[in-house]
Amino acid sequence: MKDIGNQNSSREGEKDLEHSIEAQNIDLTYSDGTEAVKDISLTVPKGEFFGFLGPNGAGKTTFIKILVTLMNPTKGNLCVNGFDLEENPQAIRESIGYMGQETRIDEDLTAWENIRFFCEAYGVPKEKWETRIEDLLELVGLSDVADKTAGDFSGGMKKRLDAAMTLVHEPPLIFLDEPTTGLDPKSRKKLWEYFQRINDRGRTIFLTTQYLEEADQLCDRVAVIQNGEIITEGSPTDLKDEVGGRVLEIKIDGEKGSIEKAESLIRDTCEFDDDATLKANEEGITIGSRNVLEIGTDVLLKLRDSGFDIKEFDIHEPTLDDVFMAITGERASDGEEIAEKGIKSGLEG
Amino acid sequence: MSDLGDKSLDSKNQKVIKRASNSFFGDVSASFKRWILKFIRSPHVIAMNLLQPILFLFLFSEIFGGVVGGPMSAFLGESVDYITFLLPAIAIQVAMMTGQGSGIGLVQDIDEGLFEKVMVSPMGTTGVFLGKTLSELIRIAVQIGIILGLGILLGAEIATGIAGVFGVILIGILFSLIFVSLTTAIAMFTKDQEAMISIVTPIVFPLLFLSSAFLPLESLPSWVQTFATFNPVTYGVDAARSIVLGENVMTVIEMTSFSGIWNTIIPAILVLLAFAFILGGFAVFAIQRGTSSEVK
Repeated sequence: MKDIGNQNSSREGEKDLEHSIEAQNIDLTYSDGTEAVKDISLTVPKGEFFGFLGPNGAGKTTFIKILVTLMNPTKGNLCVNGFDLEENPQAIRESIGYMGQETRIDEDLTAWENIRFFCEAYGVPKEKWETRIEDLLELVGLSDVADKTAGDFSGGMKKRLDAAMTLVHEPPLIFLDEPTTGLDPKSRKKLWEYFQRINDRGRTIFLTTQYLEEADQLCDRVAVIQNGEIITEGSPTDLKDEVGGRVLEIKIDGEKGSIEKAESLIRDTCEFDDDATLKANEEGITIGSRNVLEIGTDVLLKLRDSGFDIKEFDIHEPTLDDVFMAITGERASDGEEIAEKGIKSGLEG
Repeated sequence: MSDLGDKSLDSKNQKVIKRASNSFFGDVSASFKRWILKFIRSPHVIAMNLLQPILFLFLFSEIFGGVVGGPMSAFLGESVDYITFLLPAIAIQVAMMTGQGSGIGLVQDIDEGLFEKVMVSPMGTTGVFLGKTLSELIRIAVQIGIILGLGILLGAEIATGIAGVFGVILIGILFSLIFVSLTTAIAMFTKDQEAMISIVTPIVFPLLFLSSAFLPLESLPSWVQTFATFNPVTYGVDAARSIVLGENVMTVIEMTSFSGIWNTIIPAILVLLAFAFILGGFAVFAIQRGTSSEVK
């Protein structure tokens, strides 16, 4: 439980710290038997913008709640900012900022009052409040609505206020749990900019997201999590390389047999680069390749000339779904096998 | 543009881990200010807390005022206006309603408010809840003040004058601690608004009616009298009523060791304190249980 009335008991002086987060073999099993986190170990160096990437229900939020001391792991060792979770959870709370998945602001108070509350809560010296609050409001672009009631803000503004509130004590490590979920693209971009700015000031950021695009924009390094386990770790570029470049998705009208026929036709007749991936699924074919723009037209023409009925096609940057497809042969969201045979046939040569 | 990147945080080579340095007093003060602001910002909540007591005050005194004059004077030995008899009960009702609001405010905060953020912060639970409770006691004082003023306008007389007004407010505050504790405990156990409301609402009315609130106990069935003996509402109402009427009105405990109204007030306060301690302890337990970071 919380350390009642004993906040200042253990204030070690200086710490030479290389890693903001060191987690070893963390397990969390809910009382109903659900294993939400399975043997996760990871290290996040100081100053890194780290991404925890995974679909809904993968265990991202559970893991972040362990890191911010809201939940105790069933097993494992955890050091945050050099403080051991078991020995000194209070020191962890004093040195982190946390922005939960759902926006948490006091809607009865103004933006200013919301931030002031946390200035006092985190013991920021009174004479610094005014400049601190002004700076934070400016950082998240809410200076002109400082005295407006937060309940009247748009979703994006609320999120930005929430972000500002996590920064009052200038924490060296900040946790962001799916901070852009439910935001329109414009607000999302804006928020990314603020996070980037915060990271540029030397703070470590631990972000969870479902979007590869988000991780790609922001993160230095990413771990991909599925069903409570880390399935791969690396830079966003590494992940995209797993897919092999941009993705061309073609939906074909017809039976599984004819889709497989279409796949082998493309495999045999089109020239891809070495890292390219080609997969068939229930609805059609997915091609991941760096030269997909150049060969796309060819592919489509060949399919049409051979009598395949193309319903839809689309070229896009690889998504988390594509990465999952490339690594596990399963869709990220529902974990179902793609085709019965689990077609994982990358291109040879 | 800002000093956020001040010296300790400017570079990735920072050696000192920056830690917040809050204090117990700061926790209380931050929490108190926040909840007082919320109170001021939501006049509709004050209106809702007062609406039912005002209706009771007005309707009961109009409808029953003439009828109950007889039995009341039989017990009180003189003719007292029913509204004067009723007013202290309504003051206690206000304390109950606000106490109920305390738990509802807490579940709302858990559901959609700052609660989680506060739990991740270094703030101590004791300070957080102390600040919130203090703000509620002020709320109760203001609301009881309003209802007493209204009662006086409607013709009630407070025999002990302005000192009596403060006396009733103090009794209301003490009484409300029982309800604040009870609803806080329920809030921490259920963490759910609907569950909270469906548990508390059926408690309020029986407690209010099965007490000395609306009629002298002697005129009620004996099982009600028995229940009322164990009902904190009886003690809150009797204490407040003895102040308003300037008489020893308590019948559940016969006390003669003090003089006049103190024969009611002192035993009533002792009983209320006992209730407050028991339920307060229960609330503290619920808070500790509900804020410990164990696996759900």
